[in-house]
Amino acid sequence: MIASVAFRNFKALRSAQLVLAPFNLIIGPNGSGKTSLIQALLRLRSLARLPLREPVPEGERLPEAAEISFRFNPPHDGLEAVLACVDEASCDLLQLTPLPRGEGVDDWPGLRTRLLTLRSYVLDHLAITSTGAGRSNGNKLASHGGNLAAVLAVRRELAPGYYTALCEELTELFPEFSDLVLLPELGSFGLRLRDGGDIVPADNLSQGTLYTLALLAIAHDPTPPAIVCIEELDRGLHPRLLRGVRDVLYRLSYPSDYGHDRAPVQVIATTHSPLMLDLFRDHPEEVVIADKVGRAATFARLADRADLADLLTEGASLGDLWYSGILGGVPEEP
Amino acid sequence: MSSPASRPLRLALLGESMVDEAALSILVEAVLGAPFVRVQPNLRARGWPSVLQILPAIARHLHFNTNADGLIVLVDADDTEIHTAAHEAPGYFHPRCRMCQLRSSFRRATKTLPPAHGRTHMLRAIGLAVPAAEAWYLCGLDESVGEAAWLAAREEGRTPYTRRELKARVYGTERPNLPQAVAFATAAARRHAVDLRRLEYDFPGFACLADDLRNWGKVNG
Repeated sequence: MIASVAFRNFKALRSAQLVLAPFNLIIGPNGSGKTSLIQALLRLRSLARLPLREPVPEGERLPEAAEISFRFNPPHDGLEAVLACVDEASCDLLQLTPLPRGEGVDDWPGLRTRLLTLRSYVLDHLAITSTGAGRSNGNKLASHGGNLAAVLAVRRELAPGYYTALCEELTELFPEFSDLVLLPELGSFGLRLRDGGDIVPADNLSQGTLYTLALLAIAHDPTPPAIVCIEELDRGLHPRLLRGVRDVLYRLSYPSDYGHDRAPVQVIATTHSPLMLDLFRDHPEEVVIADKVGRAATFARLADRADLADLLTEGASLGDLWYSGILGGVPEEP
Repeated sequence: MSSPASRPLRLALLGESMVDEAALSILVEAVLGAPFVRVQPNLRARGWPSVLQILPAIARHLHFNTNADGLIVLVDADDTEIHTAAHEAPGYFHPRCRMCQLRSSFRRATKTLPPAHGRTHMLRAIGLAVPAAEAWYLCGLDESVGEAAWLAAREEGRTPYTRRELKARVYGTERPNLPQAVAFATAAARRHAVDLRRLEYDFPGFACLADDLRNWGKVNG
């Protein structure tokens, strides 16, 4: 979907580029631009709803102004989208530039349609278990997951096959439960214990269970978005569940590997867990290290590290290598 | 405590993943020629070097806190030294061979432990999958995969196949999910369980494991 992003003077990303893969796990210290990347994508989605700005001649661009450029994979690799900003935080203008090569130069409507499906999640267990407003719309999971009960109800009604698959995967990941139980009268849900059959209501479920259920709702969406961003992918999860969660997201990014006939979903996930990183030893091309020196943040692909294979041969795990600091992506110390 | 000869062995398995442990369980039963009882089935290590780091504590825990007769460990060699016949010489220890490292670690961890649960010591068996357990699953199906081929290529400075390639060949994808991987691995293990000779011949790292298991009878006999 999105092939690359280039930042200029956007928050801590003073001069940073990032080539995006189908699946991207972003690691790095706090304030190193992980969330800024996702914010830039959300800004692109927001501005894609509005009329395009006329291209600004090169000579009229302010050299110090923030700017974020996006390039895309085929069939839209002939277009570049540029967010022009009036200051570091306010990027309110989207302009489109045809590139010398590539397809889709005239298909902004097609690209725009895909961009508008982008979803970003910072899941919140309190929102998921609340019974307040905003729970009626169950078409797409909200950013904090607050309408999960409604999403599950709609899924069961309109896409029962996907709902069944979701339930099956949930009970594989949490074998202590036998079933997902919707409680429409309460606008909520629960999980039935395999031992005894009691239903554990949502507000008594663990945070990790709720987050995993939300991730499964994203993964078992019959019309998934083109891009999914998930912050703190490992949050609330036992280390042994991380593999299962990674697998859920891999299925989004590489559907043909799992026999699914649909377009891949580009996944951008952040984590601070060395244990999650350990799962990517065989796929360093999927790992992005965000680094920060002073106020300036940069991105680098782990696979671009020339001595990575040699470092791994020394016997340390990838997570330990990261924690040690030799891969970068760790907090600065005084 | 009853003699192991009169009841199923009580064994703990320690691997790098649920997938490997599922296959290992089938292979161990095939070597022993009898079912065994799994002790503490939730044991798990987080890959190398976690296995080496955690092994002494696990051995101690199993010895004092369980009635396990033995511990079986399976690790991937990755790109490290292969365990060869030369390493079997008395007193030999190769510092980059994971088999030598694990044997040494287990020996140091258990040699001074007092008897517990009616046994003087716990048995151990260690397997080394070269370069990864997926190679075992391909044994008999892909003639290019085997320890000899791996060793020959490495001596020429080549890597004949990567872990990713092995995964793709076994599972049809480089990114198998757990149910997929367990299904393929256990099917391969059942295939080998019918006749283990090919796996032992092509993968001495498995033959070491099988020898350890067969020698248990001699130890206890």
